[in-house]
Amino acid sequence: MNNSERPTARKSGLVVQEVPDEVLVYDLESNKAHCLNQSAAMIWKSCDGNNSVSEIAKLVETQAGEKITEDFVWLAIDQLSENNLLEQQVASNFQGQSRRDVIKKIGLASMVAIPVIASLVAPQSALAAASCACNNPQQCGNPPNSQCPSTINCTVLGVCAAA
Amino acid sequence: MSVNDQLHGPGRLRSGVIADSSFNFPSSRGNLCCSFALDVHNENNLRSMTDDLKWYLLTLKKAERNIVAAFQALRSEAIEPILIKGWAAARNYPDRVPRYFGDTDLAVSAADYAKAKSLVETHPGLRGVDLHRELRHLDTLDWDRLFSNSKLVNMDVAHVRILAPEDHLRVMCVHWLTNGGEHRDRLFDIAYAVENRPEEFDWSKCLDVISGNRRSWIVSTIGLAHRYLDLSLEGLPFAHEATEIPDWLTRSVERSWASESRLRGIDESITDPRLFLHQVRNRLPPNPIQSTVFCEGKFDNSPRIGYQLRDMAGRIVPSIRRLRKAVIDQYQWSRTK
Repeated sequence: MNNSERPTARKSGLVVQEVPDEVLVYDLESNKAHCLNQSAAMIWKSCDGNNSVSEIAKLVETQAGEKITEDFVWLAIDQLSENNLLEQQVASNFQGQSRRDVIKKIGLASMVAIPVIASLVAPQSALAAASCACNNPQQCGNPPNSQCPSTINCTVLGVCAAA
Repeated sequence: MSVNDQLHGPGRLRSGVIADSSFNFPSSRGNLCCSFALDVHNENNLRSMTDDLKWYLLTLKKAERNIVAAFQALRSEAIEPILIKGWAAARNYPDRVPRYFGDTDLAVSAADYAKAKSLVETHPGLRGVDLHRELRHLDTLDWDRLFSNSKLVNMDVAHVRILAPEDHLRVMCVHWLTNGGEHRDRLFDIAYAVENRPEEFDWSKCLDVISGNRRSWIVSTIGLAHRYLDLSLEGLPFAHEATEIPDWLTRSVERSWASESRLRGIDESITDPRLFLHQVRNRLPPNPIQSTVFCEGKFDNSPRIGYQLRDMAGRIVPSIRRLRKAVIDQYQWSRTK
């Protein structure tokens, strides 16, 4: 396991909204939204390009007041990387174990909630509010249909599905 | 009982509104007017937030970034826009009641319009801006007066300019009526603007600066919010008048709310013959609300037929032009495909 890896949290092209116990992230490039629980958010914030995985584990341990293993940090980094929330992709490093096995192992041993990054899906009400009126996909997203949330699923009925 | 209590109580779910029986919606008049409704730092409010609300918070922040960028881009060219509808309407909504909006509606003076339009077409920071040349049919107050009434409010790290609440209420009412009153959810914009109006809101600045006919539009729209959304009329100087809504008006909104088909530009449905026929049928006879507004008529109990005929006569040539352009665009697009 390469615990000297120093991941860097991505900053550009993201809209970040902190709420109690969670951090919400909107990726402007992929138009995807994520919800990071407290553990995942703490680890993400500690990814400054200077801290190694071992150091991140210690930092989070101090904040959480509980023992944090490097597997715990890797579990978060694996998801952060998968969701393109790190500057550079980091290969998962579970020493041959599956993510499921690692979750099971950490879940039994840790008093702190395991890091979770969940996807947020646009509710129907949001899509309805952002509906447009296009005759063909070329018109999607362009004036006067600038409000189209999609450039591929724009329909003649003026309803757009998320891209 | 407040609009919120009436509308968002246990088990009453309406499109565009998240029902949450575990939460009491704060709605006391004036409390929410000066700051944005969603207090994200209030832990008690957000502990049990739904995914829909989380999505709303994110998209709101994204929209605010776009609005600030648009203001910065226009101000860099010495153009001062006024933000209307969308975010400005959402400011009146209570905590935990999302008010989604798509594009950014910005109005600029007629003198700045051409310059602003060319910027909107080229500047990346202005993508998604719906530019208005002053307020055209949406209001009759002259731009200078609207601008001097307008105010700057905080958004993120910047200040953006919005209309005075009295002016904005008129604009929202007329915009809603221009769409034939078919957007039931948008009637909430009017209900919350009245319900959560600031203490210093001056009804004479809202209603006595326009013609009697336009005054009847505003009063009737507030009356509709009272009738269908239980907006309280208590203390309003026109409370009795607002309860006397013409029958044709209630019939018209109820008919359009019951219909699954929304009024769209007839040119927007050319690729689907069934939809096209539906849209033609929707216009026969023309929507009496749109016709009355189109003719600057009065909302009273007199028959609408005169307005509807004038409306049809006035729209037929522009509609044919738009239809012709849409057919050409569609043909050109299909050839390049």
